[in-house]
Amino acid sequence: MFVARSNDSSQIYVRPIRRIIIGALLVLCFGTFMLWRIDSPRVERFRAALIDQVVPSFDWASAPVRKLSNMIEDFQSYNRIYDQNRELRRELQQMKAWKEAAVQLEQQNAKLLALNNVRLDPKLTSVSGVVIADSGSPFRQSVLLNVGRRDGIRDGWATMDGLGLVGRISGVGDSTSRVILLTDAASRIPVTIQPSGQQSLLVGDNNPAPLLEFLEDSDQVRPGDRVVSSGDGGVFPPGILVGQMTQGPDGRLRVRLSSDYERLEFLRVLRSHGTEVIRDIGGLIAPEGAAEALRAEVEARAAAEADADQDGDAEAEATDEASSSDAAGTAETSTETAQAGGR
Amino acid sequence: MDPLTVRLWAYRALYLGIVGLCIFFRVLPLDTRAGLIPGPDVILALTAAWVLRRPDFVPAVLIVLAALACDLIFQRPPGLWAMLMLLGTEFLRARQGLIRELPFFLEWVFVGGVVAAMITANQLLLALVMTPRPPIGLSALQGFLTVAVYPAVVAVSHLAFGLHKAAPGEVDALGHRL
Repeated sequence: MFVARSNDSSQIYVRPIRRIIIGALLVLCFGTFMLWRIDSPRVERFRAALIDQVVPSFDWASAPVRKLSNMIEDFQSYNRIYDQNRELRRELQQMKAWKEAAVQLEQQNAKLLALNNVRLDPKLTSVSGVVIADSGSPFRQSVLLNVGRRDGIRDGWATMDGLGLVGRISGVGDSTSRVILLTDAASRIPVTIQPSGQQSLLVGDNNPAPLLEFLEDSDQVRPGDRVVSSGDGGVFPPGILVGQMTQGPDGRLRVRLSSDYERLEFLRVLRSHGTEVIRDIGGLIAPEGAAEALRAEVEARAAAEADADQDGDAEAEATDEASSSDAAGTAETSTETAQAGGR
Repeated sequence: MDPLTVRLWAYRALYLGIVGLCIFFRVLPLDTRAGLIPGPDVILALTAAWVLRRPDFVPAVLIVLAALACDLIFQRPPGLWAMLMLLGTEFLRARQGLIRELPFFLEWVFVGGVVAAMITANQLLLALVMTPRPPIGLSALQGFLTVAVYPAVVAVSHLAFGLHKAAPGEVDALGHRL
C-alpha cells in the first residue's frame, strides 16, 4: 500500500520532467537533421572531425579481425586449389608470351622517350594510404583512409589502387580522409572511351558496375573498350584507367571497374594541382632596353589617347601627333633591337 | 552503492558496449563492393528488445546518444534516424505494460510494425526535404532482416545477459514497481 502510494506521488513529478526531456531530445535530433539539410558543409566537416577522432582508435582491434577473416577466406580457397592451379598454369603460358612482348615494348619505349627527351609530369606524385574503415552503411559506398590534412590531402583528388581508379577524396580530417567510391550514388566522373575517344560521364548507382551517361554516339563504342578518366573539369588528371565497358542485362552501358573493390587495402591518392589556365595573350619577347622603350611608348600613346578623349576640339591634331610619335617610337625600337642583336 | 544501482548502470554500459561492437564490425572494410545484401540493423532490434524487457536499462537519452553516433559514423543524414529511433522506442515503451502480457509471436508482430513504420517515415522525410534516399527495395530488405533477427536478439539477451520481462511485483532500487 505504502509502496504504491509513494510510487504515485513520485510519478506526479517524474512524468512531466520525462516529457520535457523527450521533447528536448526530439528537438535536438530534428534540429541536427535540419541544420545538416540547410548547412551541409559545416555539419559534414564536424562529421569528418568526429570520425577522425573515433575511427582510428578502432585500428588496434580491426587489424586482427581482418587478418582472421582473410585467413578464413584463404582457407576456403584451398578447396578450389586444384582447379586454380590448372587455371594458373594456363594463364602462365599466355603471360610468357605477353612478357616477351612487354620486354620488347619497354625497350622500344625507353628508346623513344630518350629520342623525344620527354619528361613526365613531376607534379603527378602520390600519397599512399591504408583503408581503415568503410562507410558501415549498405547505401553509401565510401572508405576511410589513414592519411589526411597533415599529409597534404585535399578534397577532390583522385584515388587509385594498383590498377585503376577507385574514387575521389571527399571530406578530409586531420589524420583521415574519406574516399567516395565510383559506385556511390553521389559519384560523377568525366571519362573518355578509347579507342573512339567518346566523352561520357561515369555515374555511380550503388551497383558494382557504374553507368555511362551522356554518351555522344553509342554506335562508336562497343563492350570491351577501355575507359579512362578524361580530365574534363580540371579536377582529375586525365588518362587514369577506370575499367572496361560492358553492357548490363538491361541493355544500358556500364563499366566493369579495373580496381579490386572486393579487397581495397592500400590506395594511392594522386596529388593534382589542377590544370593551369592561360589568361593573357602572349607578350612580346624583346631585349631588356627595347622592352622598356616599348613600355614608355605604350604609356605615351595611352596618355595621348586620354588627351584626345578630353578635348574633342583638337581631335584631329591629337591623332596626328599620336601617329607621328608612334612612327618615331617604332623606328627607335627597331634600331635598338638591331643594336641588341648586333651586340 | 547498493547492488541494484550497480546492476542498472552495468546494463546501461553493456548496451553502449554492444552498440560500439556493432559499429566496429560494420565499419570494418572487409568487402567494399556495392549492391551487396544489406545486413540487419542489429542495434534497432537490440534496442526494441531491451525497451520491451527492461525499459529502465535503456533510457531515451542513451538511445538517442547511440543513434546519433551511428548516424554520424555511418554517413547517414545526422539526427533523422536518431529521431525515428526515439519515436519508435517511445511508442514501444508506452505500450510496454500491454506487450508484457502478450505472447512472443504478437510482440514480434508489434515490433515488425514499428520497424516498418520507421523505415517508411525515413523514406518519406528524406523525400520531403529532397535528399538522396536509399533504394526502397534495399531498405525494405534491411527492415525485413531486422525483424527476422529479432527473436535471435531476444534469445541472446535472455540467455547471455539474463534479460527478461520484469516479473509481477518485482521492484527497483527505490521500491518502485517495474
